[in-house]
Amino acid sequence: MIEAQNLTRRYGDFTAVEQISLTVDEGEIVGMLGPNGAGKTTTIRMITGFLPPTEGRVTVGGKDLFADPVGVRGDIGYLPENVALYPEMRVSEYLTYRAMLEGMTRAQAKKRLPETITSCFLEEVEGQIIGTLSKGYRQRVGLAAAILHEPQALVLDEPTVGLDPKQIIAIRELIRELGRERTLLLSTHILPEVELLCDRVIIIDRGRIVAEGTPESLKESWVGATMLRVELKQGTEGVAEILERIRGVSSVKPIDGGRSRFSLECEHASDPREAVFRAAVDNGWTLLELAEERASLEDIFVRLTTREVIEPTAPEPDESADEEVTS
Amino acid sequence: MKGIAAIMDREIRAYFFSPLAYIVAAFLLLVNGLVFWLIVSFLNNPQARFGAPLELFFGQTIYFWLVLMFVAPVLTMRLLSEERRSGTIEVLMTAPVNEAQVVIGKYLAALVFYCFLWLPTLTYVGIVAYYSEVDWGPVAAGYLGVFGVGALFLSVGLLASALTRSQLVAAILTFALLIPIFTFGLLENLFNDPTLKQAFSYLNLWQHMEEFSKGIVDTRHLVYYLSATLLFIFLSAKALEAKKWR
Repeated sequence: MIEAQNLTRRYGDFTAVEQISLTVDEGEIVGMLGPNGAGKTTTIRMITGFLPPTEGRVTVGGKDLFADPVGVRGDIGYLPENVALYPEMRVSEYLTYRAMLEGMTRAQAKKRLPETITSCFLEEVEGQIIGTLSKGYRQRVGLAAAILHEPQALVLDEPTVGLDPKQIIAIRELIRELGRERTLLLSTHILPEVELLCDRVIIIDRGRIVAEGTPESLKESWVGATMLRVELKQGTEGVAEILERIRGVSSVKPIDGGRSRFSLECEHASDPREAVFRAAVDNGWTLLELAEERASLEDIFVRLTTREVIEPTAPEPDESADEEVTS
Repeated sequence: MKGIAAIMDREIRAYFFSPLAYIVAAFLLLVNGLVFWLIVSFLNNPQARFGAPLELFFGQTIYFWLVLMFVAPVLTMRLLSEERRSGTIEVLMTAPVNEAQVVIGKYLAALVFYCFLWLPTLTYVGIVAYYSEVDWGPVAAGYLGVFGVGALFLSVGLLASALTRSQLVAAILTFALLIPIFTFGLLENLFNDPTLKQAFSYLNLWQHMEEFSKGIVDTRHLVYYLSATLLFIFLSAKALEAKKWR
């Protein structure tokens, strides 16, 4: 449905987005994840036709954005990052205007309005002047305007920003519902949101795609191994070495640089918890904690977007941490 | 077409929501009322020359031009610059409308509001008609001139508004552009060469209005307003388009 090929955007010498290619299939919800300034908004703006790409092309539903910009714009419902509205208009008035801008007649807009207002929880402020609304309400007015004309594809840039927790849940529910029949591309920096909503995740950093896949497959391929957290009452010399020799443990990292708490990375499909316990008994350590830590998408995100060289063929144990322990 | 109508409709509403528009309307009406009163009392003097008050009213006083050069920047400064400043341009430029439609919708809204501003002056015509006789031809021609010159001035303002995100800069730029457009024609008196003199007299807005107020509808003037207006609207659309590429 949405297809972007080698999108690149340069501002003078600065490259904001470099060679980003992505596809969003019909009925799919794809999440774009990345730290601030990663190029999410720039990418989205190129897809919606607000910003012409320096290189690359975009097609939506088979229509080329460059050849038929007006046609493509009509197929996309777009919620920009900074929801800019006209402060002097009333909510219902603004929504009617947006519907007519999208080519609906006033009568058609009137018919669609109540449904949209209900689904975006705007009943209370329908007649209110936009300038007096809170950030959360404005966000929902923007969302309502994006879905009002029932576009085939929706592009939402940070749709839950500025909402309170209750509203976030409600809006996520709405997004999930919309995603059932529509193609949806959304950007966010909220990780649980991606895990909850998206069929597929694209992680962007410094203008490039650094990882792509379903939330599950990302977890598997990027962290792979389970981590064990071990805490001893009293650390002694050589604990790390002993732990490292345990079968199934691939690396040992001291936590906070101390000698009593360690983080153990385990080999794939191994559970060395019992062996760790045995080692503690054999060496007379008092074991205070032995816990399994599941990798979260957050770990992957942090790992992918911290300023280090990224090897896209993980799972690879962290070699440098290894040396630190043994020294 | 629907896009143009939607934009125009919203823009006209925006005028009526803004206090600025009422200030402009009040100012225009105050100055026009004062000028009309001055003209009538001047002509009421038995020693005054013979003349029709409405003829003098249209374009034969400096007030007419001062007001016009103040009204045009104020009505147009917001049109596109505010969209860019507030970010609403993003919604507009991702909606299924092209730059030309946006610009035309906005321009038409300004033109409609401008005409609305002149509406109350019809009462002056009514007053004159009540107490004396009105020669309707020159009055209609006068309004035609007001419309034509206004249309041109507003298109200049539209272009200025497309060039900047600051309303203030847009207003100043409009004013700066209107001064040469208005005064170019007055340069005619500086030249003795008949060709140059004629060229500048073709652009002499003051003289145009004087002719219109006398009931002379010279199509050359109308062609000048129309072509210049279309040029400025075209340039505005191009300016809006060009902004994207930076």
